[in-house]
Formats: sequence, structure tokens, C-alpha cells
Amino acid sequence: MGLFTFRKKVKPIVYTIEECPKCGRKVKRKFKPGDYVYKEGEVCEKCNAKMLITMIYAETPT
Amino acid sequence: MMGWLGEIFPTGRATNDPLLSFMLFYLPIMFLIVYGQKIQMWMVLNEVGRALKKFKVMRDKARNEVIDHIKGFVRPDVDLTKKVDGFLEYFTISPVDLDPSGIIRKLDHLMFVKDERMERELELLAKDADKVQLSVMENLLEVASELNYIYKVVRHYYLLGKKMANLYILLQIQMLMPIILQEAEALMGAIDGIKAMQPLGDGIGPLVVGGFMVGKEKKRLAKDTVIAEDEIKGRRVIFMKAEGPAGNVGKPGKAIRRLIDEMKVKIKLIVMIDAALKLEGEKSGEVAEGIGAAIGGIGVDKYEIEEVATEYKIPLYAIVIKESIAEAISVLRSEIAKAKDKVIEAIYRLIDEKTSKGDVVLVVGVGNTLGIGQ
Repeated sequence: MGLFTFRKKVKPIVYTIEECPKCGRKVKRKFKPGDYVYKEGEVCEKCNAKMLITMIYAETPT
Repeated sequence: MMGWLGEIFPTGRATNDPLLSFMLFYLPIMFLIVYGQKIQMWMVLNEVGRALKKFKVMRDKARNEVIDHIKGFVRPDVDLTKKVDGFLEYFTISPVDLDPSGIIRKLDHLMFVKDERMERELELLAKDADKVQLSVMENLLEVASELNYIYKVVRHYYLLGKKMANLYILLQIQMLMPIILQEAEALMGAIDGIKAMQPLGDGIGPLVVGGFMVGKEKKRLAKDTVIAEDEIKGRRVIFMKAEGPAGNVGKPGKAIRRLIDEMKVKIKLIVMIDAALKLEGEKSGEVAEGIGAAIGGIGVDKYEIEEVATEYKIPLYAIVIKESIAEAISVLRSEIAKAKDKVIEAIYRLIDEKTSKGDVVLVVGVGNTLGIGQ
């Protein structure tokens, strides 16, 4: 940021990444309260296996 | 003297009028000589005063957020405001360092008492809260307490400089203001993430290690510190991290000591993974490798790990993920999260290069494990 320029602060969005341990399918969705990394996630639409939350991170919308 | 003024005022009228040249040239100089420092002080006072107001708003907001969060777990007849204010004013007196021998033992004891006191009091206050919720409260109180401390220190220098009319006291705090403000803003930003139990930037170490522990049997070795085992390329690999998803850092020093001293595990290599403060210009999420105990804090765990590694001549390798102080205490950023695969790659490579089949390797994920299970 320059001396005389002002950047409006944008609130980052927190995402949860779920991965299927069976078929490797990855799902990116918005963070839900109660999510934590390595918690069992939702059922995989492709192979019906329980997915695993592998990452939670914040991303600033562009 | 008038020669060069004549160049500035080419009409000649101004330079020929002694009263006008006095008013335009000498008077401002005399004014600035007499009142210059006072004007500068007034400007600095204003700037520090404005920042102080910001810190006060942040401190009050953090305090109210903590009260609102804990309220849900406390009986309505408890005076929570008074209790939280008491928590915010808690202090720890550091041990005497005139004779530094044995100071780590004393520090360890003091930290144990400090943590125990806070935990017990929170347990008594919020009887319905579980371990994870209690750790969230503890983390929130730490943030609010840090903001309270920042506000009080800045206010101290502001009032001291004002009272003594000392520009140099004010200048010191003014110069540090951008860094302090950045840290305070990061602390404020961390509140929502902590309340929602989202992983912090500091948690990248436990996040990487936790992945290796999923589905394996866990064993608690020290307070809030767990291990799990796996076999990688013919080596027995022990993974260690603080027990999540609660907001803990665990006691890796004590756990490593127990593993080697008490359980007599013959470790050939220790790999520590932690977030490290980056220098300006370095990229967030950059992975670097080095030697030594990659662990922050007041030094108790670092001392214990270095001691045990030296005693048993175990090589200590460090993998660090670069991030700023603001990123370390805020919700994990995508740039830092991307480092996970690179760190895993480095772990495999180190195990392959530095050990042989049948060796035992210890991989430690260091940092706050809030929102990270195993």
C-alpha cells in the first residue's frame, strides 16, 4: 500500500476442503460451524464413502 | 543575505522593505525556534492520541466479545464482567535472572501454575463447557488480555510524554505505532476465527502432522500432547502434535523427554515442523529447511528438546513455513495452506536421506492446534 493510497479491507471467506479417501474426489465449500480439519465430512456423491475434511483456510475474494 | 532573497522576490519591493522581509523571513524562523518543538509535540500527541482511541475501541470490543462468548456457558447470577476483567489483569512475575542457573525449571513451574489457574477458574465458571470450548475461551481471553496490555502500555507512554512534555518519549511510541497497530489489528481479526474454531496460521505444523495420524491409535504422552505411529519406507515413524481440535500447543518438550528417557525409544532423527516469522520481502507460505529445534514460546520446550537431543546425540532437523506475525495469529491463509504438500514432500525426503530401514524417526508438528484434529 502506498503512502497516500487507501485500500478497502475485504473480509476473507473461510473454506472447507473435503476429500474422499476412496476415489480422491475433492469438494470445496464454505466453512460451517463445527468443521475442523481431519473430521469426518459428508458422504461422497461418487462412491458413498465418508469424506474427510483435509483443509480449512481463508481466502480473500478478488 | 538580501542577494539571494532578491532572486526569490525579483520585484525588489519585498527586499527593500525591512519590515516585510523581517515578517516574511526572520519572524517565522524565530517562531519556529521558540515553538517548533511544541508544534511537533502537539502533532505527535494528536497522532498517538488517535491511535490510543483505536486501541481502546479494540480492547473494549475484544472484552465484550469474550464476555458474550462465555455468557452462554455461565449461570445468569454470576457477575461475568467482573470475572473477565479479573482475567484480563492477570500477570505472571518472571523469575529472578541474576543467577540464571535453573531458570528454565522455574519458568516451567510458573507457566504450569499460570495455565492450571486459568483452566481451573474457567472450569469452575463455565461448568457446562467441554474441553474444546474451554480452550476456545482460554484463547479468546489471551487475545483480549494482549489487547488490554497493548492499550495500557501505549496509554502509559502517551500520558507520561504529555505529563512531562517530553517529545522523545512520545516519538518512541509514535515510531513503533505502525507495528503495534498491525499486531493489534491481527489480534482483533483472530477473534472471529477462534470463536468459530478455525485453524490459525500458527497451526500449519500440527495440520501437516495430524494428517499422518488420522485413523491411527493415539497415545497421550504429556499434557495435551499425543503421538501416533506409522511405517514409512521401512522406518518406524512416530508423529507428535498437540491434541486437537482444542486450541492447545501441548508440551512437546516433556513428551519428547518421556519418549526417549522413560520409554527408551531409540530415535535416530527428530524432524520439527513449525511456522516461522518471515522477513519483509519473503513470501508467505515459503518452506525452508534447517537445523535445530523449531519451536517458539518462552523457551522451556526448546530447552528440553535441545537438552534431550544433545544428551542422546539425535540430529534435529527443522522445516519451517514462513508467515508474518499477523498471519500466524489469524485464520490460516490459502497461501500458507498450500505449503502442506511441500512440507510432506520434505518429510519423506528427510526420512529417506537421513535414516535407514528399521530406524525410528520422530516428526513433531509445533503450534496451536485449534480446529485441527488428528
